[in-house]
Amino acid sequence: MSKLDVTDIQGFAMRGYNFPFARFLFLNFSDKEKSRECIGRIIEHVTTGERWDHGKPKTTVNVGFTYKGLAALGVPEASLLSFPVEFVQGMKARAAILSDTGKNSPDHWDPIWHEGVHAWLGVFGLTQPDLERRCPELNAILQEGGGATVIGSQDAAALQINGQFTSKEHFGYTDGFGNPEFLGLEKESQPGQGKLTEDGKWTPLATGELLLEYADEAGELPVAPLPHLLACNGTFMVYRKLHQNVATFRRYLSEKSKLYPGGLEKLASKFIGRWRDGTPVELSPNEPSPAIVQDPNRSVNFTFRNDLDGTRCPVGAHVRRTNPRDAFGFDGALVNRRRISRRGMPYGPYTPEDQPGSDDGEHGIVFMALNASIFRQFEFVQQQWIEYGNDARQGNDKDMLIGNHEGHGKFMIQGSADRLNPPFMCGALPNFVELRGGDYFFIPSITALRMIAAHSVDPR
Amino acid sequence: MSNQSGSIYGLTIISPIKDEPHLEISHSLAIRMYLQHLHTILKDGEGPFFKVNSTHMARLVVLDDVVYFGMPSCEEHLQSKYLIFESNFDGELDTYLSRLARDAKEEVHNIWQHCIGYPGVENTDAFISYMKRCQVETTFYFADVNDKSVQQTLRALQTQSAVASFIEKNQGMPPNELQNAFVDFSKRLRNAPPPKPGSTKGKELTDKVL
Repeated sequence: MSKLDVTDIQGFAMRGYNFPFARFLFLNFSDKEKSRECIGRIIEHVTTGERWDHGKPKTTVNVGFTYKGLAALGVPEASLLSFPVEFVQGMKARAAILSDTGKNSPDHWDPIWHEGVHAWLGVFGLTQPDLERRCPELNAILQEGGGATVIGSQDAAALQINGQFTSKEHFGYTDGFGNPEFLGLEKESQPGQGKLTEDGKWTPLATGELLLEYADEAGELPVAPLPHLLACNGTFMVYRKLHQNVATFRRYLSEKSKLYPGGLEKLASKFIGRWRDGTPVELSPNEPSPAIVQDPNRSVNFTFRNDLDGTRCPVGAHVRRTNPRDAFGFDGALVNRRRISRRGMPYGPYTPEDQPGSDDGEHGIVFMALNASIFRQFEFVQQQWIEYGNDARQGNDKDMLIGNHEGHGKFMIQGSADRLNPPFMCGALPNFVELRGGDYFFIPSITALRMIAAHSVDPR
Repeated sequence: MSNQSGSIYGLTIISPIKDEPHLEISHSLAIRMYLQHLHTILKDGEGPFFKVNSTHMARLVVLDDVVYFGMPSCEEHLQSKYLIFESNFDGELDTYLSRLARDAKEEVHNIWQHCIGYPGVENTDAFISYMKRCQVETTFYFADVNDKSVQQTLRALQTQSAVASFIEKNQGMPPNELQNAFVDFSKRLRNAPPPKPGSTKGKELTDKVL
């Protein structure tokens, strides 16, 4: 394959920054020319994929556009029409496909998603003061010539528990394991992160599963905009603000655990397939194991081939549904074109475990996922593996944790003959998570950003 | 063995569609229009394959021609348009075809009357013999066919759905109470009428049991 020019790829596409603070600014473009000038001024601040040999910067900046945003910037129609249809339509129009219905329907989203979000400006900071310093600078750049307006923002931050930053989300699970590896992206290889080979080893996925204009796992090029330079080194981002009903989750877990002989923590581990400290139940079914979590050679290095009945990890557990590895046979080949790179981050204050928590208020996860084809990757996972259960042989059952159950769902824990690991049924599932808005964004390369800013995108 | 996977029969029929250029609506278009509107004409439980209820899966397609994708493929054409009928069903072919002619008479006629050589449905033997002349070998089956009959499949779905609800309602109950509840439940499940073909929702499957 061709060597990647990491200085042309937005850093956010290449790696999770792992910064504790972030602010996502949402822009609206009112004037084509002024907005393009504004993007031109922003480019030099955009963080690329170049290596941080001298340590992390204090802040990072990245940018993405909705279809309407690209149109508002005056990208030529012939280019606009060449984008994949799901991106053109936007997430709101895909609600039926994604099961974003009922409480999750666009009618219930935050008002900003009805006000014309044209661009996402993602700013990450090592500290809150770093973030507070950088954002006004960027705001000033945006306001300099007019054209682009910040119509809203979303703060996100790693949850602090007992004064320490953690990788936890609001339900208490350690998050952020299991992002795929791709060919050509400089990163230390971690077994369990790419795709399985026939001899049971792990190897990186094709670059084209993440970046446009490179061969994907089928040796094909996903639908990408014209011209080649507009698409190359770009990717698509799915942004979903997922509110978490903390009180409902804690109450449900507590009530069900009274009947579950394995106890509350084991039940919680069965829901998603990891103990709340992150230990994969596939590797350690009876207790959490800090030694496994801290060992990069083991924390994501497991398969389901010896647990097809779900004795250790339930067949419908969250991590098994969303990354089935080899659970469907064929050495995992059926999942290689469905992998997404997650960049999610919690928002809102954490409620200590000894308190009931609340469903009201602002707390949840900003789910961000990158993929070359939203239709083939994110939308497939959402539709088939989260909101439906047939591939996992779970009939109509949805993902226990993030499915849109509306009070009717069920989740089966297969278990075994072991007294402390019995089969167990979780019924009358409420919605633990509710969608509060989001959209699909194009994350262009630096070259493409310059072309957009210079109004030189030429699809002919 | 072709056409047979365990107890399931795989049927593929390819019937040439009449070509009469003077017609205002061509025969192939007439089939398409009829198929597109079939679901609006029928009430629940009146569909042809509901009536011929040994059908697991059936599909009707109008095949116009070979699609030409441009160079380097060569341009080819079929001799006529064809109606393709695929079905996976329980039992013998002759029985199935005679049931189609008897129980789904009207729909079969409305569709196949546009095909060359179709003899009508009144003479069952002639219909069976016509369909067999149009039959081609089947080697691939609907992915979910698993050598269980339609009735067994519906029963299994009913049982699975009912057992799941039973567990959810009763897990954690003291053993003797649980046993009594289960004995009672088993009796109701055994005596429950089988679900109707086409039942898809859990409630339809379990409301006679729980």
